[in-house]
Amino acid sequence: MITVQFELNGKAVSVDCPPERRLLELLRETFHLTAAKPGCGIGRCGACMVWIDEQPVNACLVMAWQLEGRRVRSYENLATSTESAPVRDALARCGGLQCGYCTPGLAMTLTHLHRLEPRPKRDEAALLLAGNLCRCTGYGGIRRTLAQLFDPAIQAPLDESTPT
Amino acid sequence: MNTPDHTPDLTPHRLIDHAGLLALARPRPDAAAKLAATPFPSDHLGDQALHGAILGSPHPHARILAIDTRAARALPGVHAVLTAADIPGTPCYGLRHVDRPVLCADKVRCIGDPVAVVAADTAEQAHAAVAAIRVDYALLAVVDDPLHALEAQAETVHAGGNLLHHLHHAHGDLGAAVAACEHVVEDEYHSPRQMHAYLETEGGIVEHDDDGRLVVRFGCQNPERDRQVIAGILNLPPDRLRVIGTPVGGSYGGKDELTIQPLAALLALKTGRAVRLHLNRGESTDLGVKRHPMRMRLRSGCDADGRLRFIEADILADTGAYATHGPEVLDAAIEHVVGPYAYDAVSLRGRLAYTNNGIAGAFRGFGAVQTQFALERQIDRLAALAGFDPLCFRQRNLAAPDAPGPLGQHVLPFDGPHRALDVLRTHALWTAPHRHADGRYLYGTGLALVHRSDGFGKGGPNAARLVLALAADGKLELRAGFTEMGQNLIGAATRMMADHLHCAEDDVRIVLGDSALTPDSGPTAASRTTSIIHRALRDHGPRWRAALVDAARVDVELPSAARTAAGGLVSEAGHPVLDYPSLARQCATTRPTLVIDLPAEETPSDIPAAHLVFGASAALAQVRVDSWSGQVKVERLVLANALGPVISAEGLLGQMEGGAVMGQGMATIEDLPSPGGRYAARNLDGYFIPTLADAPEIEVLAIENLMADDPAGPRGAGEISVNVAVPAVANAIAHATGLTVTRLPVTPDTVLDHLERQA
Ligand code: FES
Ligand code: FES
Repeated sequence: MITVQFELNGKAVSVDCPPERRLLELLRETFHLTAAKPGCGIGRCGACMVWIDEQPVNACLVMAWQLEGRRVRSYENLATSTESAPVRDALARCGGLQCGYCTPGLAMTLTHLHRLEPRPKRDEAALLLAGNLCRCTGYGGIRRTLAQLFDPAIQAPLDESTPT
Repeated sequence: MNTPDHTPDLTPHRLIDHAGLLALARPRPDAAAKLAATPFPSDHLGDQALHGAILGSPHPHARILAIDTRAARALPGVHAVLTAADIPGTPCYGLRHVDRPVLCADKVRCIGDPVAVVAADTAEQAHAAVAAIRVDYALLAVVDDPLHALEAQAETVHAGGNLLHHLHHAHGDLGAAVAACEHVVEDEYHSPRQMHAYLETEGGIVEHDDDGRLVVRFGCQNPERDRQVIAGILNLPPDRLRVIGTPVGGSYGGKDELTIQPLAALLALKTGRAVRLHLNRGESTDLGVKRHPMRMRLRSGCDADGRLRFIEADILADTGAYATHGPEVLDAAIEHVVGPYAYDAVSLRGRLAYTNNGIAGAFRGFGAVQTQFALERQIDRLAALAGFDPLCFRQRNLAAPDAPGPLGQHVLPFDGPHRALDVLRTHALWTAPHRHADGRYLYGTGLALVHRSDGFGKGGPNAARLVLALAADGKLELRAGFTEMGQNLIGAATRMMADHLHCAEDDVRIVLGDSALTPDSGPTAASRTTSIIHRALRDHGPRWRAALVDAARVDVELPSAARTAAGGLVSEAGHPVLDYPSLARQCATTRPTLVIDLPAEETPSDIPAAHLVFGASAALAQVRVDSWSGQVKVERLVLANALGPVISAEGLLGQMEGGAVMGQGMATIEDLPSPGGRYAARNLDGYFIPTLADAPEIEVLAIENLMADDPAGPRGAGEISVNVAVPAVANAIAHATGLTVTRLPVTPDTVLDHLERQA
């Protein structure tokens, strides 16, 4: 067992747990924050995405000992913040979610990309989003969301269905 | 050239193009809740809930000699270790065949087959207890091939033998039809074991409420049926159970049947505590159902004029260890292998075998997609032999809109297949060359046409009960035992309520998927829910509008022509008279409700499992094949859907795009082999599904026409995109490479082998 102290959604927290305990499990079981989802547990689906020190990270791959002194932000916190408002709005308006299970993870990644300076172009953003699997949408609504949030790389006609 | 002789004079298409659909699309009503991280069933942690864990079989096929749970029971934190002997009621469940043990008593039939189940204070303790259970097995021969399963000397998976279901259908003079043929194509096609890969694995909680009920909360597709079945297993009256099944983090058919709910309920009953059970991806892969792999021998032919004369099909499907929906899947495979085409003679045979290859069950596209792949390959091959353009060949061979259905049954007249082809005929992707090469890359465009049934076949659970009610807060409620799995049922239902009740969408609330609040509406499956709600509101909406006005009249003087409108009742001239919240307050004790019992609408023909209603879709796929790596990239998909009036543009777009990419996955990358009865992968690092980078550009077109006096209205949109995308991609790969595609997915190795042989 170790004691880890880190910042979670703006508050200092401390937990005693085995050093290899995954952040995803800490969030869900210890802190009862269930927006991060256990889709695969091995870093393949992105449903468990959180931010650590402002960088998107799969919470299922992070162990407790790695958290000491870090700043963790989960979607519960982001969902009520203005930073994610354009992303949430675009996802809703563009049909970027269906069942919604991938949505918190997707919104974590998208918001991160949208806040980056300089903001990535649409094709770069699409590339960086390939780690967030969605089984429902076929990515159609997610592409439209990207078109709403990110400029195309080169001068292209303003066509939402233009592939990224 | 090639005047299609069955093409009727079509009235102008009522076509909405992709941009038109986008313009009509609006945010889903449940988007805000989902974006606010509202919990899914598997996110409910409960108060002091115990953790459940399952001991599954490590063997695909074995007899259980002894189970010793003593050591497990003695471990700290363990509250229950249960085996089959602890089940108070019915030990097995199933749909048409009740063959699946809640917990295995005498033998195990697949990897992960549950043998014992544990509840403990923590997940670690539960897993430690599972590890401490001792089971002695006597291994049995593993049946991992459906063909071998049907041989006389095969080990039997179930006592009744390995042939679970078979059917045969024939009409017409086959000999004469074959004799009339100039071109005949015969081949064996193979379709893969596809995994649903819903991102929310099976999980949820069972709690005890203050009324002494067990509240079972797991994503599902039919809460009321689940309640009845779980009640039987626990030997409780159904009213001691409440089943909540919505929202669902993806299902696609995979959560239609019960899986682990009975185990969680059993633990909660025995411990008197709340119990959580949530499978990890590996366990979900083991226990969750898959798409039935099929071997399909097809032989069909056309005459010198390019007219189809006959089709013969012999289908063998692998249902794995338990029946679940297997028989209906095979029925659908047979009914759809004929397609929307006319023949002089058909001869169809299907067999469904038990094996030890996991469990196959319901999956979007449901049996039909497998045989539509094989059929549409045959059609393309015959068209080439006869020297016809693939689209003209299909047009030429369509059954007339008022022709009988695929099994000769009475069906609703429908010209959707004619329209879908006609719309694609002039599409730029089709009028461009269908194949070209650009250095390393080979490009090909493929076409497919499918029609598919709505609802269940004759004799299935086609009836539905829905309730309309005025809620205490004045909302006009539609209560249905369906669940929201992402298909935008809430959005479509809201729109239909507003349309048929002449009110605003804000006046409406859709209450779903909770056996305590919603009636038995039957399964949320078979692309049926939109059609059912439409029928209910179309036929009973006027009565309900009148009931609301009548309810108001009891206490208030209303103008004689008062009617429902946005916000409340209005006078004939549209002046507000009474808003809905006031109406609800006024009739606090006798708020009106209307119970709607929709009878099953089935074909009058006496053919088991035959369908009455069909929708249609045609698709173009453009692929780019990398001749160096053999990799197939689907670049474009165009789907022309003839499904009647569009209820929800965002729902249609979402279902089409999502299903198409799922079909693309099945055609190009997805398969879960089961050598020796063991799945070759247990997670998303070994089983790949399409990512954003793989997804093609998709264009969705909606053809809204239905035949005059069509009684059914809008067709379901939940599945047909899978059905049509799979053969379209397969045909596109064939055009791009010249490969005779007979096996899905088309792997890079297959492509490279083919290109090498050609060189
Ligand atoms: S659960 Fe972490 S990436 Fe899938
Ligand atoms: S919306 Fe269901 S997985 Fe993305």
